[in-house]
Amino acid sequence: MSNMLSTGVSGLLAMQTALDTTSHNIANASTTGYSRQGVVFDEAQPEFASVGWIGNGVNVTSVRRFYDDLVSSQVRTASSSMNQWEVYASFSDQINNLFSSSSTGLSTSLQDLADAFQGVANSPTSSSERQVLLSKAQLLVSRLQSYDSRLDQLDTQVNTQLSGEAQTISGLADSIANINAQIAAASARSGTTPNDLLDERDRYLDELATHVNISTVKQDDGQVNVFIGSGQSLVLGASAADLKSVADPYDPTRVSLALQNGSGAALDVSNLLSGGTLGGLLSFRDEVLDPAHNRLGQIAVATATLINDQQAEGLDQYGSLGSDMFSLGDVQVQENGANTGSATVTATRSDGAAITTDDYVLSYTASGWTMKSLQTGVTSALSGAGTAASPLVGEGLSLVVSGSASVGDSFLVKPTSGAVDGMSLLLNDPALVAAAAPIIGEADADNTGSAMISQGVVTDAGNASLLTTVTIEFLSATTYTTDGGATTNTYTSGQSISLNGWSVTLTGQPATGDVFTVSSNSSGSGDNRNALLMANLLDQDYLNGGTTSVNDALGNWVADLGVKSNSANANYEAQSAVYDDASSALQSVSGVNLDEEAANLVRYQQAYAAMAKVISTSNELFNTLLDAFN
Amino acid sequence: MRISTSMMHQNSVNLMLKRQAEMAKTQEEVASGLRVQKPSDDPAAAVLIQRLQQQQAAANQYDENIGAVTSRLEMDEQAMADAESVLQRVIELGIQANSSALSVSDKQSIATELDSLRQQLLDVANRKDANGEYLFSGYASNVQPFVRQSGGAVSYAGDQAARNVQIGATQYVADGDSGQSVFMAVPEGNGLFALQANNTNTGAGVISGAVSDSAAWVPDDYTLSFTSATAWEVRDSGGTLVTSGTYEDGVAIEFNGVSVTVTGAPAAGDQFVVAQSRTESIFDTLDAMIAAVRSVSSTDAQAAAFQNDLSAVMTQLDQAETHILNVRAGIGARVSMLESVSASLDSDITQTETRISELRDADYTESVSKLSQQYIGLQAAQQSYSKISQLSLFNYL
Repeated sequence: MSNMLSTGVSGLLAMQTALDTTSHNIANASTTGYSRQGVVFDEAQPEFASVGWIGNGVNVTSVRRFYDDLVSSQVRTASSSMNQWEVYASFSDQINNLFSSSSTGLSTSLQDLADAFQGVANSPTSSSERQVLLSKAQLLVSRLQSYDSRLDQLDTQVNTQLSGEAQTISGLADSIANINAQIAAASARSGTTPNDLLDERDRYLDELATHVNISTVKQDDGQVNVFIGSGQSLVLGASAADLKSVADPYDPTRVSLALQNGSGAALDVSNLLSGGTLGGLLSFRDEVLDPAHNRLGQIAVATATLINDQQAEGLDQYGSLGSDMFSLGDVQVQENGANTGSATVTATRSDGAAITTDDYVLSYTASGWTMKSLQTGVTSALSGAGTAASPLVGEGLSLVVSGSASVGDSFLVKPTSGAVDGMSLLLNDPALVAAAAPIIGEADADNTGSAMISQGVVTDAGNASLLTTVTIEFLSATTYTTDGGATTNTYTSGQSISLNGWSVTLTGQPATGDVFTVSSNSSGSGDNRNALLMANLLDQDYLNGGTTSVNDALGNWVADLGVKSNSANANYEAQSAVYDDASSALQSVSGVNLDEEAANLVRYQQAYAAMAKVISTSNELFNTLLDAFN
Repeated sequence: MRISTSMMHQNSVNLMLKRQAEMAKTQEEVASGLRVQKPSDDPAAAVLIQRLQQQQAAANQYDENIGAVTSRLEMDEQAMADAESVLQRVIELGIQANSSALSVSDKQSIATELDSLRQQLLDVANRKDANGEYLFSGYASNVQPFVRQSGGAVSYAGDQAARNVQIGATQYVADGDSGQSVFMAVPEGNGLFALQANNTNTGAGVISGAVSDSAAWVPDDYTLSFTSATAWEVRDSGGTLVTSGTYEDGVAIEFNGVSVTVTGAPAAGDQFVVAQSRTESIFDTLDAMIAAVRSVSSTDAQAAAFQNDLSAVMTQLDQAETHILNVRAGIGARVSMLESVSASLDSDITQTETRISELRDADYTESVSKLSQQYIGLQAAQQSYSKISQLSLFNYL
């Protein structure tokens, strides 16, 4: 009978625990990261009696936490990916929107400029058309700069957010290390794991996974080690490393990430980290933002160089060879903070067509200077010694080194990213637009032959004798001299004659004594030849080894932006589907179902009542026995 | 599968959010009428749209250029028409002046009219376009092309160029002609050679001539000299004798494909020049005509000189008229070419617009039906959620 009482009490206590646990589950039904708990019942040790083993009631051996480590690591991986793409997509969308509007898009500005050149070509003497051209050119500069400053803003935003991410990650690492210590202590004390602390640690791990991709390894004492990047430890047991935002070795305004573990040297992990909002920011910066800066710069460099070069081949309304229309920001050369030599490098653009969208690392090695693309890692061909007389030439750049470099010193050379920032319109006088060609080929009025001379094109605007008058005189129908010189040249119809930086074509049948002149076109204020050439420059194949026009380069870039943004959004959708699936799988194991808890409540309540009945029955039995003696 | 209560709620909410986002996108599509709003909506189409828009802008610019060129060419053509009517009147006056019945005062009044016609022609040649540019001075469009020099002759101050305007990706058209080619470069004589009597001739020989065999023509300046009243010889510019013969009034002298006839009574030492054709300015022709009409022709020799001068001038005027007609025909051809280019540009622009619209614009039927489908979907999600969320075992305890 005492056995019956103690069995009843054991059941009563067990059901109380079960009801406590169920209430705990119901109370936390809406708590994020809560894993449902359940009691594990076990039969108590039976007692041996003469009839055999007699049961001794029930024991609660443990309170179980319903959780699946494998599924939860899937959830974290998916969450890292999803968050990465979400950040990437939302930033890419911002750049994408920048270039979406057809009225504010860059292509409209370029087309407007070409149209304005056509306007000048239609009436070269009209100063209003020239003024329109200058305002369109100014508009192009402003638009390029507004894009550039928008990209700069994004850059600042990304850098700020990266610093914030580093702080958040360090904070979470600290919290996890703390809880690790608590869990280890609690487990050692009680011999069982503290379920709610595990939940809390998993919440922190989940949170950490949204910021950066992590991998975890569980220790025997219940602690968890956390690794980021390619296996760098962020949390080891109860100690956490510090993820710090530091300045890039070349560019102090650019944020790099370094992992500080204990008192050792900080390790640059910028290129190792992936996943999460941090990974999203880093990959957006590398894949979209930096290239956007450079491609915008390349378009500006190509446009300005093409137009400036063509200006130089034309004549303005004052009769002088045209001057530059645009100025550009300099090539940026950034010295590595760790350089030990005294060398400084200045770089200029020597060939606008060869300028690429890459950045380059120029390093001094034992065998001299080498240059490598930062983006592709491909080594560039360099010629020259690096002196002012013989500069290093490669990738459209001309580099001059002054001072002496030590082996291992390096410089970051950015050919395009600063171009737009320093861009400006140099012409403010409409008359300075070089709409006319500098030379004109004419036939003498007294010529008797039928030969005709073309108006001529400029092949070398730098030739000092370009504007000097040259006469071409025919000694016979097939021979001619230039400027009465001693050399007799043979003539065939359709041949071109090149001299003094120009080239003209003669066609037809000249007669003996026919004279043609090529002279300065200084009175040709109505000439539009150069303006026509300028109107078509942006469609001329120029970049990438003469295969891509400025307009094409812009089109390709916009397409590239569109594809990146589009696929980032698609990846985000896909990863959130994966995340939802994994979350569901985890929830299916550890989530609270209220109907289930309600049923448990009823079940345990009834069991409790039954146990109480066992006790009261045992009491009645005892009373019956007592009554027998009364 | 076991479903947790919070997951059931969360999933329903997520689904509704997703539906709402889809609906917002479709609604934006319907409201803006655009399927491709930013490059990421359809990168390939976005780039194509950008290209097409650039093409269209260029086509519009070409169309505008065509308008500008056409109006300039029309002014050019009007100038040519005016020059032509001046020349016609001059030719009429030339025919009048050729009559032997004219008195000195009649000739004077013809000369006076010719003077004013010459001025008219000069005004035509110095016309400006709407921008204040001279029509006929080539690139030197701010320089007055035709200026009367102190000696009376008109010189050309422009250049020989004609300005091209772009009317297609690779197509250019000249928006005028240089004054040199229009007014200065009229072929002399009959285009092969020109006849001229030496102004020191003392006899009364009158020369006329024609091409008898253009293939046999050797371009050079030949001098037909009368060594006596009855003997002539032809020498080339080098002084080499080409042919010689005895003079008979009205009998053709033939050499190197040329047939010239001298009538009347030339004197010994008289010379006529058969010069290879160069070019002559219309103004010089007019000046020569005025001088001829103003000349006194009291003697036979003077009458013969008048005859020789006038017939040279009349040949030259014919050339000039033909020349102007050719220029005018050239302008007309360019204008009609511009019309056809403009028509094809217009149809290109329309086609490009259609293509852009196909790529960029939303298909309303599709978008609206998609919208209503999404609407029903969202409604169903909301209704089912509100029903299912009410279900709980606790309600029955």
